[in-house]
Amino acid sequence: MVGASEAARMERLESQVENGGGGAWEYLCLVRKLKARRSNKVLKHGLSILNDHRARSKLGAEEWTLYEQVAFAAMDCQQHDVAKDCIAVLSKQFPGSIRIGRVEGMLLESKGAWAEAEKVYARLLDDSPLDQIIHKRKVAMAKAQGDLSAAVKFLNKYLEIFMADHDAWRELAEIYVSLQMYKQAAFCYEELILSQPTVPPYHLAYAEVLYTIGGLENLQTAKKYYASTVALTGGKNTRALYGVCSCSVAIRQLTKGRNKEEKEMSDLQTLAAEALQRDYKQRAPNKLPLLMSMLKNMKLNS
Amino acid sequence: MRVGFMAGILGGILLAHAGYATIQYRGMLKIVEEEFSRPPMNVVVELLLGLAFCIWAALAAPAKFRSIHPDSEENRIVSLPTNLDFMIFNHRGKVFPCNAEYKLKK
Repeated sequence: MVGASEAARMERLESQVENGGGGAWEYLCLVRKLKARRSNKVLKHGLSILNDHRARSKLGAEEWTLYEQVAFAAMDCQQHDVAKDCIAVLSKQFPGSIRIGRVEGMLLESKGAWAEAEKVYARLLDDSPLDQIIHKRKVAMAKAQGDLSAAVKFLNKYLEIFMADHDAWRELAEIYVSLQMYKQAAFCYEELILSQPTVPPYHLAYAEVLYTIGGLENLQTAKKYYASTVALTGGKNTRALYGVCSCSVAIRQLTKGRNKEEKEMSDLQTLAAEALQRDYKQRAPNKLPLLMSMLKNMKLNS
Repeated sequence: MRVGFMAGILGGILLAHAGYATIQYRGMLKIVEEEFSRPPMNVVVELLLGLAFCIWAALAAPAKFRSIHPDSEENRIVSLPTNLDFMIFNHRGKVFPCNAEYKLKK
């Protein structure tokens, strides 16, 4: 999870390194820790460290991690020769290593040579059949070739063995959403919320999938999960506040004519509306009239 | 932070001294053959002072305390980490012009 202070520190370091101040190694370590995908910056500054003998020798044993990181960045920026050179250096240092074999497979993937990459991964899997990352690369290859159903099949097989891998559950949920298989996506998000109940983005995503599926019960559950997102983020998540309002409007549309539970619902909606107004007044006062007209429409529609 | 350390050392010395004074007082009581109910008033005052100094040191000596609220300005989750294990290279970056100056020197 990327916290706000860490993200701010990464932005600061990035602007500092871009403008010529030092701190490139610190920036690269932070990018690696936060798993951010800043390939062009990593490539530029990583190469500047690696091409400088003194800076490279100052790194000591971490030099090889930097080679790997620069190789990934080069593949992402389609600079295949840089990646090949990095892999050559690494394989000279660590001959026969599975980790280097994986990087080679990824290089073949980035060049588009799917069959050869498949062969490389099959060979590596013979040596170590329980390597998680190679299984995940097979899923990624299927996804890159556009074969989402094969990717789903591979991911499901992977998750039968490694049930606790929440990255994989998240990937599966996103693939299901792109395939519009919302019920299965909801199941994946439920698994994520079960394993990590204090992460607000999962609650938000689950609420959105439920809202998309529709139906009265799903809308009521979606409203509860939007509310839990609001609770987890201390009321600062604007999207969740909007979600609460939209769910209330949709529920009211569906239960038009039934007088049962109107009172308890409108409390949450009025509070969410007030929170939205306060937020807009503070952060975007010129957009406040848009918000007010939208809220008025919502109340009128009931 | 240095004041904190000094206060902590001073508090520790006060407590040790209070302990020593109490032991001596008990020894004196044994000579006079009286019951030991509680240490004398000045030792109690010294104990309380030492306690105050140690508490101050415990709060002042460490660096700035970090926030524990999950939704505070520094702790709130800004984004989920990108799933780098499933990273694909089949994206629009292929059509960007190749920057020939990127080379790994031997």
